Amino acid sequence: MANPTSSLKEVGTELAPAPPGREHGTLTAWIQDLIFTVDHKKLGLMYVGMAWLFFIPAGILASLIRTQIAVPNNHVLGPEAFNQAITMHGTAMIFFFAMPMVFGLANYIVPLQIGARDMAFPRLNAFSFWTTFFGACFLFLSYIFGPGLYGMGAAPDASWFALAPLTSKAFSPGNNIDFWSLGLLISGVGSVTGAVNVMVTIFCYRCKGLTLYRMPLFTWMVLVTMFLVVMFLPPLSAAQIMLVLERFFGAKFFEAQAGGSAVLWQHFFWIFGHPEVYILVLPAFGVISEVVPVFSRKPIFGYPMMVAASVMIGFISAGVWAHHMFTIGMDSFSVTFFAFATLVISIPTGIKIFNWLATMFGGKIRMEIPMLFCIAFLFQFLIAGLTGVMLGVAPFDWQLNDSYFVIAHFHYVIVGGIVFAVFAGFYYWYPKAVGRMLDHRLGLWHFWIFTAGFHLTFDPQHFLGFLGMPRRIYTYQEGRGWEFLNMLSTIGAFLQGVGAIIFIINMIYAARKGKIAGDDPWDAWTLEWITSSPPPEYNFEQLPEVRSRRPLWDLKHPEDPDWRFE
Amino acid sequence: MDTEHADHAEGVELPTPTPWPMLSALGIMLIAGGFVTSFVVALVGILLGLIGGIGWFRELFPVPNHELVPYTEPAKRAAPIKVSPRRISHLALGAGGHRAYYPLRVHRYSSGITGGLAGGAAMAVLAMLYGLIFQHSIWYPINLLAAAGLPTMESANVAMLNEFHLSAFIIAVLSHGVLSILVGMLYTVLLPMLPARYEWFWGGIIIPLIWTAMLFPMFDIVNPALAAHVNWFWFIVCQISFGLVGGYVVFKSQKVETMQTWSLAARMGVHAMETEEDR
Amino acid sequence: MTESALFTIFVVAYLFYIGKSLNPPYPREVLEFPWLGSFFLFSSSATVVVAEHRLKKGERGGFHLWWGITMALGAAFLIYTATEWYHLIYHDGLTLSTNLFGSTFYSLVGLHASHVLVGLVLLGIILVASLTGNIKDRHHEHIEMISWYWHFVDGIWAVVVTVVYIIGMQ
Repeated sequence: MANPTSSLKEVGTELAPAPPGREHGTLTAWIQDLIFTVDHKKLGLMYVGMAWLFFIPAGILASLIRTQIAVPNNHVLGPEAFNQAITMHGTAMIFFFAMPMVFGLANYIVPLQIGARDMAFPRLNAFSFWTTFFGACFLFLSYIFGPGLYGMGAAPDASWFALAPLTSKAFSPGNNIDFWSLGLLISGVGSVTGAVNVMVTIFCYRCKGLTLYRMPLFTWMVLVTMFLVVMFLPPLSAAQIMLVLERFFGAKFFEAQAGGSAVLWQHFFWIFGHPEVYILVLPAFGVISEVVPVFSRKPIFGYPMMVAASVMIGFISAGVWAHHMFTIGMDSFSVTFFAFATLVISIPTGIKIFNWLATMFGGKIRMEIPMLFCIAFLFQFLIAGLTGVMLGVAPFDWQLNDSYFVIAHFHYVIVGGIVFAVFAGFYYWYPKAVGRMLDHRLGLWHFWIFTAGFHLTFDPQHFLGFLGMPRRIYTYQEGRGWEFLNMLSTIGAFLQGVGAIIFIINMIYAARKGKIAGDDPWDAWTLEWITSSPPPEYNFEQLPEVRSRRPLWDLKHPEDPDWRFE
Repeated sequence: MDTEHADHAEGVELPTPTPWPMLSALGIMLIAGGFVTSFVVALVGILLGLIGGIGWFRELFPVPNHELVPYTEPAKRAAPIKVSPRRISHLALGAGGHRAYYPLRVHRYSSGITGGLAGGAAMAVLAMLYGLIFQHSIWYPINLLAAAGLPTMESANVAMLNEFHLSAFIIAVLSHGVLSILVGMLYTVLLPMLPARYEWFWGGIIIPLIWTAMLFPMFDIVNPALAAHVNWFWFIVCQISFGLVGGYVVFKSQKVETMQTWSLAARMGVHAMETEEDR
Repeated sequence: MTESALFTIFVVAYLFYIGKSLNPPYPREVLEFPWLGSFFLFSSSATVVVAEHRLKKGERGGFHLWWGITMALGAAFLIYTATEWYHLIYHDGLTLSTNLFGSTFYSLVGLHASHVLVGLVLLGIILVASLTGNIKDRHHEHIEMISWYWHFVDGIWAVVVTVVYIIGMQ
């Protein structure tokens, strides 16, 4: 076999890397390429593109919600439209923004990080993407085809966890709930097949020398995530199958009049629902674990502990679901058990936070945009964890369940944690995927405006919760002391919108005019930076061989390689 | 599937792009769509799903379809990794100049217990002395201390505080003892890390002052009775006496080597594995 | 693993609702222990092993025979289930919407039956491909996977029998 890297070395020293050429072709050729492709990188980008595509309507719904409750007795949205808006916002953000984002990052980065040419089952990969995508389309088609009043469409309106008696035919006539359950069923198929695919890829396609103990932390956490998807998405699918059977064929699973139990739905939903939080947050942890060491110029502190903590989180997350249900009247043993498990899960999370801090400690920190988002993540995720522990204490939860305190808590997790990590990952890996850097100045504007907007939106909501404002109310009366904080929160929401728009502008601008990135713009250490930016279809001319956790460090510092210490 | 990505001289074999997965997915969506619209949609869905499935199968069987993707032109390939010009200097164990270092020799934990008890005794003697001089009863400080755990003591007047209460006495002795031992053990850990000069000053005076400052705002919550009756000057004197006595006992105790300098095998307890050649 | 989790939820639902139906028919009155069906399915697990063994030895004829027997047993199981359901629906008037027992029974057993059906299709594809001479050595791994799937379906049936016909009928 000819050695392609040898010729590559000779040429590479003479020529500066050429600007990445865009594929010149017609629109139809482009669409055909999208439909036909089985390349993990293109599919990864399609996942990410889909995530942003559904981020836009979900974000618009969020700002509509905030506009509606900005002032008392407001009538921008009626009660029906408001219920639809909160349902669609929640469902779309969780299932069609965050999940595709996780799968997109995993799809794009994992094969590159483990030195593979593609996923284990490339065609199945395409299938996973398309089922997820069509599931999302199906859900949003409800706005057109759902049988509403006056020929208008009607979206699902039973909130994103669709509590049981509300979803029965008696209380939700028409088809809008079916759009919810069927749409998520379809995309659930895609998520599970995708997860199996990623798992098999990680287990079977690592390049030579890349033992599990040398695997990059992002890949590790994706692995744990995919286990969680495979284990805990089916309960949701099963519950949704039951719901479909009930609504179309008259089964009696959740109907109290026939002896069915509405609480069972809650159990089934949250058996899925809580691990889902970790499905979303573990890849975010993975991103942070990649970015923090690179921008602190130090290897990650406590690698084995990080891995162990991720696995522990995976296990414990299976046993905490009922902390969403403290107020439905469980016996005291269950309450104690789930409260305890909930508090215990903060231990591995705490370990991670300390490890990131220890990585930064004494490091030579470069304040690039990804690092800024990581630092903000650390602060915000800490607060999110603390309010989580507060809510995990059952008596406290009895007081604040279903109030805006809960809203503030989980938005701190999802926006302050996951979205910030996603932004960090974007600024970090965008040069790899596109070949050009995102603009630093626009990035600063994005970071500061979005962070300010985030805090302005969700910090007041903690206090609104304490002041007794329940969630899911479409309006409220004057004189309860909620007006000022709600107004602040709405202003913050729009500020976040401005930040997001700046980010989108940055992405478009950088794709055309950004600084040429080169193969390794951040002086990083994992395998994805060894190939060109954007990587060729086959990823690596020659599959790399790894001897330590930082293969690129070994190549850059042959006099002091990492494997000497292993 | 192991034959999917074979290398060749002129390129890499990769799976051929194919539309069938997408068509199957579309079919599944339309089947679901049949539930909410009409069965015709579902029929179309089943048809599309079948076509997609069969097409997909033919893609894989008997041999998965592959195409040769040629290597990109050399100019677009990844540049070779440059050796970094930077030199690396490693942290040496125990070397000076670094803010964090491992203590190589530490005091025994047992010295913390004795030191804590000695300091606690000194503190108790001084506190009772205060009680005797100013309140004419040695039980006064003991009852106040117990007020944290005894609701009756919380609302007691001075006369009651001057009397002997068995339950208060037990609670006070227990809590004072346990806290003294814990703080004493904290001393064994902290003392080697304090600045080497004027150790008595840091351990004996500064640390008690710091924790008194920390206790000051907490007293209102933990022990309101004590907060109301305490004489802060004497309180600080008592704390410093603890610091000086306890610190002295710990400081004078013999130091032992930590395991930081040991080899991994020795640390794990498998001494036999370590031979002279290993060093 | 995914399928196990899916089944787990339906099994849990069945167990949760045992004895909670408010109106007849109750399981004790209408269900009979599926001796015949279980025999078909469990023995098919053995025949698929024999078939695989023959394939490894290179005896194509034996492979086709035992593989075909496996398929026949699987189909017999499905027919048994169909007659059982026919009897339940038209004789005892038990449908999905009759009561909780109906809902949980049909969903659990139906889910299993659909997996048997998928298994049959997979077995059929292999049989046709093998008869037309398209099965090569590199496909043995896939055949092994399919037989694993068949064993899995069998294992699930053991759980379903325990839950539905043993625990549920007490």
